[in-house]
Amino acid sequence: MRASALGLLGAATLTLTACGGGGGGNGSSDALDYWLWDANQLPAYEQCAADFTESTGIDVNITQLGWDDYWSSLTNGFVAGTAPDVFTNHLSRYPEFVANSQLLSLDDVEATASVDTSIYNEGLAELWVAQDGKRYGLPKDWDTVAMFYNEQMIADAGYSAEDLENLTWNPDDGGTYEELIARLSVDQNGVRGDEDGFDPNNVAVYGLGLPGAGEGHGQTEWSYFTATTGWTHTDENPWGTHYNYDDPNFQQSMDWYASLVDKGYMPPLETTVGASMPDTFAAGKSAINVNGSWMIGQYTGYEGVDVSIAPTPVGPTGERASMFNGLADSIYAGTDQPEEAAQLVAYLGSADCQSVVAEAAVVFPAVSSAMDQATAAFADNGVDVSAFTTHVEDGTTFMFPITDHAAQIDGIMAPAMDAVVSGKTPASSLTEANEKVNALFE
Amino acid sequence: MPLTRAPHRSYARTPQRFRWANVLPWILLILAIAVSVLPFYWILRTSLSMNASLATNATSLLPVDFNFGAFARVFGLQSTQEAIAQGGSGADINFWVYLRNSVIFASISTAGAVFFSAMAAYAFARLRWRGRNVVFSAFLATMMVPPIFTALPNFLLIRDLGLLNTMVGMVLPFVFMTPFAVFFLRQFFLSMSREVEEAAMLDGAKHFRIFFQIILPNAAAPLATLALLTFIQQWNEYFWPLLVGNSDDVRVLTVGLGVFKSQSPQGAPDWSGLMAATLISALPVLTLFMIFGKKIVNSIGFSGVK
Repeated sequence: MRASALGLLGAATLTLTACGGGGGGNGSSDALDYWLWDANQLPAYEQCAADFTESTGIDVNITQLGWDDYWSSLTNGFVAGTAPDVFTNHLSRYPEFVANSQLLSLDDVEATASVDTSIYNEGLAELWVAQDGKRYGLPKDWDTVAMFYNEQMIADAGYSAEDLENLTWNPDDGGTYEELIARLSVDQNGVRGDEDGFDPNNVAVYGLGLPGAGEGHGQTEWSYFTATTGWTHTDENPWGTHYNYDDPNFQQSMDWYASLVDKGYMPPLETTVGASMPDTFAAGKSAINVNGSWMIGQYTGYEGVDVSIAPTPVGPTGERASMFNGLADSIYAGTDQPEEAAQLVAYLGSADCQSVVAEAAVVFPAVSSAMDQATAAFADNGVDVSAFTTHVEDGTTFMFPITDHAAQIDGIMAPAMDAVVSGKTPASSLTEANEKVNALFE
Repeated sequence: MPLTRAPHRSYARTPQRFRWANVLPWILLILAIAVSVLPFYWILRTSLSMNASLATNATSLLPVDFNFGAFARVFGLQSTQEAIAQGGSGADINFWVYLRNSVIFASISTAGAVFFSAMAAYAFARLRWRGRNVVFSAFLATMMVPPIFTALPNFLLIRDLGLLNTMVGMVLPFVFMTPFAVFFLRQFFLSMSREVEEAAMLDGAKHFRIFFQIILPNAAAPLATLALLTFIQQWNEYFWPLLVGNSDDVRVLTVGLGVFKSQSPQGAPDWSGLMAATLISALPVLTLFMIFGKKIVNSIGFSGVK
């Protein structure tokens, strides 16, 4: 008994040691680690990595982690010194990483310092230059927002695709946009939202699907409304130091937005938490979903529902508006191989790799020359993406607000916006939240 | 003779006589079974559906566009293009690697925790030493500390030891002992008769021999129970493996499934793939339960009565 127990213990120790060795010696030591979160883009970047390895001889290990775990794992990696050499970065996160000296300046490494940034869509490259004047990411894609709609429901409501492209909106009565979503809302008895006897408490189909209250930026929730009033998130962008959530234009827009729930045109906030908006859209619970271009594959991939895309409505300024956001690749400050990492970043942001990404028809490539290719690839899949590209062509985009303290701002604004959209407090309560936000910059 | 026949007759007659008093318990019982079985059925139904059609037929009781694509996806038998065509996300899950890691992780932690806890419990139950009760109270008090408080210091320690992304680092906080296991076994050891132990001592056996040849064999049932409980707990452990084991070589199933579930923000998960993987990953534990379930109940009852 004793002998066998000791033997077991010995075997366990051996296994432990063996596994430890296996875990530490992952692949060859000079392979670069690269992380991204979007599985839809994984095949394209695997192709890019293979091409990169072929031309440079540098191996790349790609790890894909879901959005929820991505940032915590990355932050852990920074603390533990195990962060990937290169990773996909987001505009809302990188100022904090820069402030904590966790990113390598791309100007300090040869391969990325020499990249000609004029190949990128206008404005994208500048977003990644921090306050110290140094660049911390090379753009890889961009996104705008548009309206995905259920063709059948639009036709049943008596609207045409053309009608949807010419919608107008204002914060007073919602314009033809609100007329549309009222018409599209149908209660349990089949009464439409613009007809007498509509029961807003028992709605079968909501005119507009709501992905959430939008925290402080409202990218896919309300920013495409508020921006058409001339409102901007911050005093300047990037690197503003004053937020404008106390602006009457903004608060009026938010009061209107929240009123859609009361009217029964949008689902109550609490019923959308944890639910997947695309799935409920496909299930016929809402007729229109506003979402980002990175969701094209998701919305058009459902069997049994015909989906088209229309641009967001024209607002009081006489123009449409869409937040313009883009991802970039950054280098971890603690990497052992800064030069190789920079070569990878430069390659992933090059026309060669971006053309592979464009062919995959999942996102819009940051390199302007690959744009037509992407549009054609989407068209081959039967998707007309002009609703997204029109913002770039017409110059109606505005940049994602980049400031310090992004995490704390979300911490203040997420509950404040939830309270407004769920009808607990009027939008005037945002003045108080705004004071807290601006106090962070003093 | 009448004594043996009477119960037999009443047994034969009961089903024929309808009793209203029995209706309610039966309904409750059927409801309880339905409530506990339905989620498993729903997992099965979703895993046999095609993900792209699932949302448009959300209320269908039967699988939607019945196929085994989700299982093929989980086992890595489907190309990315096929997966995306079926409504998958294009994410792959290294199922066999994660399964292997889960088995290694749960087995080593269980074997270690049970063995070392047994030693500790023996010391607390059968040895007499100064301050034993004080130490034991202090030890029990650690059960009150929520694991989240120790996560960060443990993480930093593992980092400083250079054990991140290794199986050693993953099992280290669990492998030596858990206060619960020590407490559980100590209660059982306390109840064992002292005479056998004393007889062994008279025969010249020392503590080591007593522990291995008398205590452990006699405690087979509670040890098995503890092993099973620990194994299930380790199988489901999420937070620590997520913190420490991010590389594919050591990533366990729970973490793998979590990563597989969340893709891009606002995106919908590949439900059928997720449910297929969940179903398969639950099988080992379900099997263990089927084999040892009765033993657990018995041993818990046994140690409780004593």
